[in-house]
Amino acid sequence: MEHTIKSKKEPLIHITKRDAMPLWKAILIRVIAVVIALAVSALLVMVLTKKNPGQVFTAMFNGSFQTPRKILNMLQDVAMLLCISLAVTPAFKMKFWNIGAEGQVLMGALASATLMYKLGNTGIPNGVLIPLMFIGSILMGMIWAIIPAIFKAVWNTNETLFTLMMNYVAMQIIQICIATWATSGSGVMGVINSMNEAGWLPQIFGTKYLLNIIFVALLTVFVFIYLKFSKHGYEIAVVGESENTARYIGINVKKVILRTMALSGALCGFAGFLLVSGASHTITKELAGGMGFTAIMVSWLAKFNPAIMVGTSFLLVFLDKGASSIAMECRLSESIGEIITGIIIFFIIGCEFFIRYKINFRSSNKEVAK
Amino acid sequence: MKKIIAIIVAILAIFALAACAVTPTPEPDNTKAPADATDGTGETGETVDYSNFKIGVICLHDENSTYDANFINAIKAVQAKLGLSDSQVIIKTGVDESDACYNAAAEMADAGCKVVFADSFGHEDYMIQAAKEFKNVQFCHATGTKAKVVNLDNYHNAFASIYQGRYLAGIAAGMKLNEMIDSGKITAEQAKIGYVGAWPYAEVKSGYTSFFLGARSVCPSATMVVTYTDSWFDIAKEKTAAENLIADGCALISQHADSEGAPKACEAANVPNVAYNIDTTPLGPTTALISSKIDWEPYFELIINAVVKGTAIPTDYCGTFATGSVALTKLNESVAAAGTQEAIDAAKAKLISGELKVFDTSTWTFEGKTLEEYVADVVDNGDFVKETNVIHDGYFDESNADQFRSAPYFDFLIDGITKK
Amino acid sequence: MENVAIELRGISKRFGRIQANKNVNLTLYHGEILSLLGENGSGKTTLMNMISGIYFPDEGHIFINGEEVVIKSPKDAFDNGIGMIHQHFKLVDVFTATENILLGLEEKGRFDVKAATKKVEELCNKYGFILDPNKKIYEMSVSEKQTVEIIKVLYRGANILILDEPTAVLTPQEARKLFDIMRKMKEDGKAIIIITHKLHEVLSVSDRVTVLRKGETIGSVPTSEATVESLTEMMVGKKVALNIDRIDPVDPKERLVVEGLNCINREGVKVLSDISFKALSGEILGIAGIAGSGQRELLEAIAGLQHINQGAITYIDPASGANKSLTDMTPMQIRALGVRLSFVPEDRLGMGLVGNMDLVDNMMLRSYSKGHSLFLQKKEPSDLAKHIVEELEVVTPNIQTPVRRLSGGNVQKVLVGREISSSPTVLMVAYPVRGLDINSSYLIYRLLNEQKKLGAAIIFVGEDLDVLVELCDRIMVLGGGHITGVVDARTTTKEEIGYLMTKSNGGEH
Repeated sequence: MEHTIKSKKEPLIHITKRDAMPLWKAILIRVIAVVIALAVSALLVMVLTKKNPGQVFTAMFNGSFQTPRKILNMLQDVAMLLCISLAVTPAFKMKFWNIGAEGQVLMGALASATLMYKLGNTGIPNGVLIPLMFIGSILMGMIWAIIPAIFKAVWNTNETLFTLMMNYVAMQIIQICIATWATSGSGVMGVINSMNEAGWLPQIFGTKYLLNIIFVALLTVFVFIYLKFSKHGYEIAVVGESENTARYIGINVKKVILRTMALSGALCGFAGFLLVSGASHTITKELAGGMGFTAIMVSWLAKFNPAIMVGTSFLLVFLDKGASSIAMECRLSESIGEIITGIIIFFIIGCEFFIRYKINFRSSNKEVAK
Repeated sequence: MKKIIAIIVAILAIFALAACAVTPTPEPDNTKAPADATDGTGETGETVDYSNFKIGVICLHDENSTYDANFINAIKAVQAKLGLSDSQVIIKTGVDESDACYNAAAEMADAGCKVVFADSFGHEDYMIQAAKEFKNVQFCHATGTKAKVVNLDNYHNAFASIYQGRYLAGIAAGMKLNEMIDSGKITAEQAKIGYVGAWPYAEVKSGYTSFFLGARSVCPSATMVVTYTDSWFDIAKEKTAAENLIADGCALISQHADSEGAPKACEAANVPNVAYNIDTTPLGPTTALISSKIDWEPYFELIINAVVKGTAIPTDYCGTFATGSVALTKLNESVAAAGTQEAIDAAKAKLISGELKVFDTSTWTFEGKTLEEYVADVVDNGDFVKETNVIHDGYFDESNADQFRSAPYFDFLIDGITKK
Repeated sequence: MENVAIELRGISKRFGRIQANKNVNLTLYHGEILSLLGENGSGKTTLMNMISGIYFPDEGHIFINGEEVVIKSPKDAFDNGIGMIHQHFKLVDVFTATENILLGLEEKGRFDVKAATKKVEELCNKYGFILDPNKKIYEMSVSEKQTVEIIKVLYRGANILILDEPTAVLTPQEARKLFDIMRKMKEDGKAIIIITHKLHEVLSVSDRVTVLRKGETIGSVPTSEATVESLTEMMVGKKVALNIDRIDPVDPKERLVVEGLNCINREGVKVLSDISFKALSGEILGIAGIAGSGQRELLEAIAGLQHINQGAITYIDPASGANKSLTDMTPMQIRALGVRLSFVPEDRLGMGLVGNMDLVDNMMLRSYSKGHSLFLQKKEPSDLAKHIVEELEVVTPNIQTPVRRLSGGNVQKVLVGREISSSPTVLMVAYPVRGLDINSSYLIYRLLNEQKKLGAAIIFVGEDLDVLVELCDRIMVLGGGHITGVVDARTTTKEEIGYLMTKSNGGEH
């Protein structure tokens, strides 16, 4: 008699929270997400260009791996993105929403460029100039990060807005500097010290960028150890997880905020130093190229784990280069790259839902029934 | 879980099917390059083999920037004309004025490009860097200033005497102002032109000065206000700048910045506009007058043919009316004043013959005086030091590639133009 | 059979690996009060949430008045005459009682507040509620807020009422009033389910008891045939000794002296007024009071987490007998003074522990800063974690498991274990057995008594007056931030404490 089930009225799907999922399953879901994302992007490009997916993916792969130079360039881009991601991570782990990395990197870069420009023709040896630039960049990045941190700690201002605005201030300061130095009014600083290469990081083993890459590799290890094994890292984690707990055990929350932001800013400044001294040898307000924002994504996707960030920053650079390569080979606008990257990020973030929740279909109720 | 996997597999299968459905179709793009094009004929009538040739073009922005669109359209036209395939013409857009430019150039050289071209001023140092490394590849750079200084066989600058084109566009603007004065829409004193410039840089200053001189040659009461956006490409800023100029009472707007911001603002406010690089009539059917533009097709053709035939590329090239590099888009008759085309044609003939000089020192003053000498920063070794007198025979000799250089060096405000 | 209000057959629900309910059967008749009894995590709330439309069962059927229904949302539940009064009230503070009652009703046109007020008054008279319909929520006591929640449900015409631990927030007097009302509703033919784990309440108010254990129905018995012992056995599955051994304090000495304490919280509200008391070594000082009477602030002020506006806190060192002032010190400074002050806060995962960290990292919270090394020493905390897991029988896959994955009782064992590991001389615990099952609760009582034996001064903030009276030596009652009385736990009654709890509130009426 009770079998008059009005199953029509039952919801088609309902969502339930999952328990912890075995690691391999979680990884599998993410891999599947990336595969679907690639398939969707390929479909999009196919529709737009009538090229077959093989060509599209070859083009994508070529963007990073076609020649040794491309591999090196890719590694350099990964290193720079990773460097900035490492820089933002301590603050984000502390739940301090620092979206001012772009400005902090730029100010670090500006410090290096200023010293290069002002001291480049004084005959000062690189052995002195480069360490000066290094220190100058780190200090500038630190200052740029600690200003909003002080306001946060003392007056509890909103750090997101504050750090965002500091980006624009940094860009305008760079603009002013360039206008002052490049008196032709072109707004272009050009390569600084191209004659004597003063303040240029040396190439080791005759390979461009190698020093940058090594520095960032070391930095990755440092940040990993700092966050995972140091007392500072532990304090950051506690403040980030629960400020109440931090107070309860007597952590000076303000001090931790200031110290961590100073570190974040210093690392951003270091990234600025590498960009100027180890790569472009110039200063423009586009020098950070939005990496200050992309880095946040890298850090989040890796759940603030520096080891995983190596992978996520590679993924984003690979996507960016691949998309740009597709755009070039298929004569599509550069925007296609952003679309593809967007699709893939959407899937990667979206798949977290399936890792956390389970979707139950109506019919499965009966299947499970014993 | 199984369910989800099943769904994913199903989706993948659909994609696979879709992929199969597309693959059998022939690839129209790649097979399009006709076989007979490889033995097509060059300018001189002799047979030229382009089959082993490859060119790389580096652009700062993409087609959304009118400046870059002008280059992209030109290279695509040349590609079609010479029958090159897509894989022979590599266009990379969105290349920053940083190491990215060097990397792009080097990657193009690696990919077998015989010529690499870059379109933005800030690319120059990185192009030189690449030129030093890849001796067998020609590097050509538009708007650059250093080819004569760096002394590299494979590094070249190019520009055009666009100031002449701007002068003609200025005539169209002046006649429009006259029409507005005659119809009583504005008084003679109100014949104020607004100009949206990108940077306070010679290329921009030379452009608006020649434009202004053209306008004033027909409308003597004309004045001009210039405002800078400090960016080559910023739609919002350019639009706002134009709107502000209009609000300030400018009766006509022109610009040297690379977005569609200013023309659109003019159309919205119903103020006549003279543009640069592209025909803006579709954007402003009731306000767009005319555009001057550098046509890069002749230069692209020149460098391609030079490389294929093994002839030299000029170290510093300045295109002219004669080379077809300086051009005007079609006059928008519905907006222009009567007789504009005739006036332009007459002035153009005089410019070509040399009878008329744009920067004739008798037509303008600087700080109330007529200049007889002006020392400009022609030799660009990065020191911003002005060292060369460029006024002779009663005129400012702009973009003289033989004697000075192709990139503009006219960099001051003449009387009648004010900066806002 | 016609009298059946609601019948559940074979209801199952699982969350991931956890089977919250398994083949549960339950019957409720009109004009009946049914107690749903079970330990924490036995699936009571999940089951009720499925009836009230918050969850959807994986399996099983629900019948209302003999007809099968599908309840997908709280609205479906209302349509079927089911109303649930949750533990946490869902009221808008700045609205009046009537406005809150009307909120969410889909009526065409404007609400007729006057008519609604009248209807609310009628309901009050009918069942004996005391409520001013025009009073704003923020002016109300907890029991009045609860009244609003109940009337809200009745207003919507609910015939089946579910009350989730309604007495947890009430004084004994208020609880008794609530039971009177429930009986009146029963006479009116309403069917009522009360979720509780206070056995004496079960025995005094309900007609029948249904016991759940580990998500399954253990059985239903008429209350008249049940005893505290029989019900406990049904809940736990074995016989449990329910006595708390109270030992007499050995050599009590002044350990903590609080004088004239006044605190104003961040919102500028005075939360503590002129609090003066002494905590003695080897003694458990109970603190009773309605929730929010200043208990939390008092403990936090002592622990150095709440700014003190006036007054002094003095610690008397047991070894030297020296006085040390703790007034307005930070936790770090207190530790630096060599004061072994332990604190088990009310908010275990939000304050005492970090939910996302594993057991080892949580052990380190108190001790990580020891030593001069820049790096963390994991050996000691790891040993401590292992020790606590063994000693207190913490159920966890391993010590690398984030504590938020543990059940409430195990979380509390980890926290209490850590806090007593430093051999405290002052131990403050706030609601240490809230949400814990009977076994875990008695383990905590035992641990507190052990510390008492070792000579710690224990301050115990509790809500269950039965436990306070049985466990403590003295009980200090707080009301509205004042001390309203201090009683000897050996001679006092629950009624006396209940009276003191309402004393400061009573003055306002």
